[in-house]
Amino acid sequence: MAKPAGKKRNKYGGEALTLVPLYLFTLLFLVGPLVYMVVLSFLTQADTWGVVPEFTLENYAAIGEPVYLETFWESLKLAVITTVLVIGLGYPFGYFMAKLGPKWKRRTMLLLMIPFWTSSLIRLYGWIIIFRAGGVFDTLLTSLHITSESLKLLYTYPAVVVGMVYALLPFMIFAVYSSAEKMDFSLVEAARDLGASPFRAFLTVTLKLTLPGLLSGVVLTFVPSMGLFFIADILGGNKVVLVGNLIQSALMKAHDWPFAAALSVVLMLMTTLLIWLYRKVSGVKDLEGIV
Amino acid sequence: MKNRTKLPNVYLGILLALMYVPILLVIIYSFNESKLSSVWGGFSLRWYEELFRDRALFASLANSLVLAVLSSLSAGVIGTLGAYGMSKVHLPLQGAVEYISTLPMMIPEIILGMVFMAFFSLVGIPFGMGALVIAHTAFCIPYVFMLVKARLVGMDPALAEAAQDLGASKVRVFFDVTLPLVAPAIASGMLLAFAMSMDDVIISVFVTGVNTTTLPVRIYSQLKTGVTPEINALCTLLFAATLLLCGLAALLGRAPKKQDAGKDVTDR
Amino acid sequence: MKKFAAAVLAALLLVSTLAGCSGASGGENGELVLYTWEGMFPQEVLDGFTEETGIAVNYTNFDTDETMLARLEAAKGGDYDLVIADDYIIETAIAAGLVQELDTSKLENYGSINPVYQGQFYDPENKYTVPYGAGVQTIVYNPEAVDVEIQGYADLWDASLEDNLGVIGSFRVINGMALKVLGESYNTEDVATIEAAGDKLLELAPNIRLIKDSNTQDDLLSGEVGAAVLYTSQATQAKMANPDLEVVFPEEGIGFGVMAQFIPANAPNADAAYAFMDYILRPEVSAQCFEYIGYYCTNLDAEEYISEEYRDFLTLPEDIDASSMEMIENVSAEALEAHNRVWTEFQAACE
Repeated sequence: MAKPAGKKRNKYGGEALTLVPLYLFTLLFLVGPLVYMVVLSFLTQADTWGVVPEFTLENYAAIGEPVYLETFWESLKLAVITTVLVIGLGYPFGYFMAKLGPKWKRRTMLLLMIPFWTSSLIRLYGWIIIFRAGGVFDTLLTSLHITSESLKLLYTYPAVVVGMVYALLPFMIFAVYSSAEKMDFSLVEAARDLGASPFRAFLTVTLKLTLPGLLSGVVLTFVPSMGLFFIADILGGNKVVLVGNLIQSALMKAHDWPFAAALSVVLMLMTTLLIWLYRKVSGVKDLEGIV
Repeated sequence: MKNRTKLPNVYLGILLALMYVPILLVIIYSFNESKLSSVWGGFSLRWYEELFRDRALFASLANSLVLAVLSSLSAGVIGTLGAYGMSKVHLPLQGAVEYISTLPMMIPEIILGMVFMAFFSLVGIPFGMGALVIAHTAFCIPYVFMLVKARLVGMDPALAEAAQDLGASKVRVFFDVTLPLVAPAIASGMLLAFAMSMDDVIISVFVTGVNTTTLPVRIYSQLKTGVTPEINALCTLLFAATLLLCGLAALLGRAPKKQDAGKDVTDR
Repeated sequence: MKKFAAAVLAALLLVSTLAGCSGASGGENGELVLYTWEGMFPQEVLDGFTEETGIAVNYTNFDTDETMLARLEAAKGGDYDLVIADDYIIETAIAAGLVQELDTSKLENYGSINPVYQGQFYDPENKYTVPYGAGVQTIVYNPEAVDVEIQGYADLWDASLEDNLGVIGSFRVINGMALKVLGESYNTEDVATIEAAGDKLLELAPNIRLIKDSNTQDDLLSGEVGAAVLYTSQATQAKMANPDLEVVFPEEGIGFGVMAQFIPANAPNADAAYAFMDYILRPEVSAQCFEYIGYYCTNLDAEEYISEEYRDFLTLPEDIDASSMEMIENVSAEALEAHNRVWTEFQAACE
């Protein structure tokens, strides 16, 4: 599909025009800021505010300190846990959603999105009310006689994971849905009629056909989860330090812009590498390019 | 339908319901007399009264909505055309452009906001709605682009070719064949983009102008003195307005075909 | 697609109506662009000012001091007429030439300012700023949920407080607690001393249940934690909601910070800024403001107008004066970097 098979090259004149907006936007508004960020990461911090234009590699060297390396590892761990859970919950959702009738498809889509149109801070406060000592969850469990005292769930790792999954689930659902929606479900039935087990039919037909969506979904959940930090702040009591927090405090607390830029560059490269590896391992040739 | 059991629908229902639990609590606590979310001070409309006196808050809500509509629309156009073009032709630098256009997703917002600010002030783009739309479009494009691309991959080219063989122009084929086929992906991507834009604080706070404070910026800048349930009240109203809007849209859509007859895309 | 288009249309319609009824209309005597956090003024005060002077208030916000400075720098000291921010960032803004000198003769009520909060490090000669509220670091605890009697920072290290302590996310304040326990100054620039404080902080980690900037008082009130180091406005709210809570002025010494107003170097409408500053310096108006924001009152004449229920929280106890207090000042880049590293290690150790 990637190549207009059997067509002459010079025919793409008209279609190439559709790429103009993206090329222009990228060139005009993205390249500049990104170059600035990379340059910044090699400069020196001024004494109280701003930067001095002196080349240094120290910002990158500083990332090698154990406390910062550990932060990268922690972020990665949380991102992986989150992504796996989001796949587990979101894949079936997107798939089943694609099987609904047209009216319910649209309704479900809107129902999914409406909660996310309100402030994320306020939604997180909703979760605080659920998780806090004597909150909704505690009351529920004690009234069902499952536990007798507060579980102290708020400000723990599981609370952070719940918050992350909650925030990122729609991305996976929408990605899987957009690719499952065009699937021909009769193919699955055909495979079953030919004697394939449900599991085998799923692997050979369904999964294969929805893989592009699943991959997009993984990227759309994994990548943001590396940088999301306010969920860890609010539901985790700031005890889980992620790269996002590091960058935030380097900029806003230490006023160390070059270090923040260096952290961002490393994060960006690491994310790129991981996605590239993931693509290699899952062996998808259909999706060219890095993302 | 072909579903042999109702189980999948039960699953959809449960998960959707769970997503609404935090929202429900936000709504309940908007009627809380106490300023503190840890104390239930009895039912009261106090925060709604305060809300309606707070004109600045409504101005920022309007800013946020305008911004979200504009940036999700422009991301929708740029992202869709880009994904379509990339599936059709191979231009030089295509890989690089694709990679760079998705980078805003990989860079934490805070640094993105800062570099955008530095860049805009360098090239002389005034801070305000224009700058906000550019910055928001930048981080919204990847969502539309990736979803549309995932849908285009592996799509049967026979339809488009057939239409072309029958004499349809490329533009017609795009609008009459391709666009309807990728519509669900465009809609998904734009809905996500809208949500991302409505919720963004960090980038906005760096590039906003004097008259364009957005709602999330106002909410987050309350942290210094404490977030009040006024915001809960506002979210409740927003929520109600969205529901109303959806209802309205459904009604409008049901009316006999007046606009763009025969192009009902999401209905396939 | 039709429905989608209809939804977009309906949304645009809603937006335009909203924008129409709330559009920033300039007042008859121009506009004041006020740049500060949200929630710093009660709506009545803003309305009262506009009514009296005919100057409309355009209230714009930043989330952190650093964002403010970056934006002000990008605007080259223009765009905004009056800024209210924290002390340390004002020092930097003054050094960067982004602040204009005040003509105090334009402020009739200038004499009302409490001198305790004047002449501080960020503006030693009071040339640039007028204070608007002060934060004083206190410990707040619930005697029923805590087994020790807390008198100072050192008591927070007590093993009985395990997983029962909440602190704000201000790293200079929290690192400063450890510095204070070690008998050092908040503002030491000696990296070894800061690292020693970091080691001391690691011992505190088991007691930490949460580190949080927003609505931290809720966690004290809901019983999530028994003791907390809070921002001043949070301490005020906590105490108002539950009078049984104890507020402690730590025996090791008291840290405080000042929020102050300044006029940017190229403010488009400096006269409006003077008018506003003078308006909120009026004792009655001032009292109204401080009751609203819950920070310590920096206006001496306003103290008598502060109602009984708030007075204890908004004015300093008699036995405390400037000599027992220390401000958190800017330190060198190396010291700041050490603070940042120490803070990250502390956060990670709490998990």
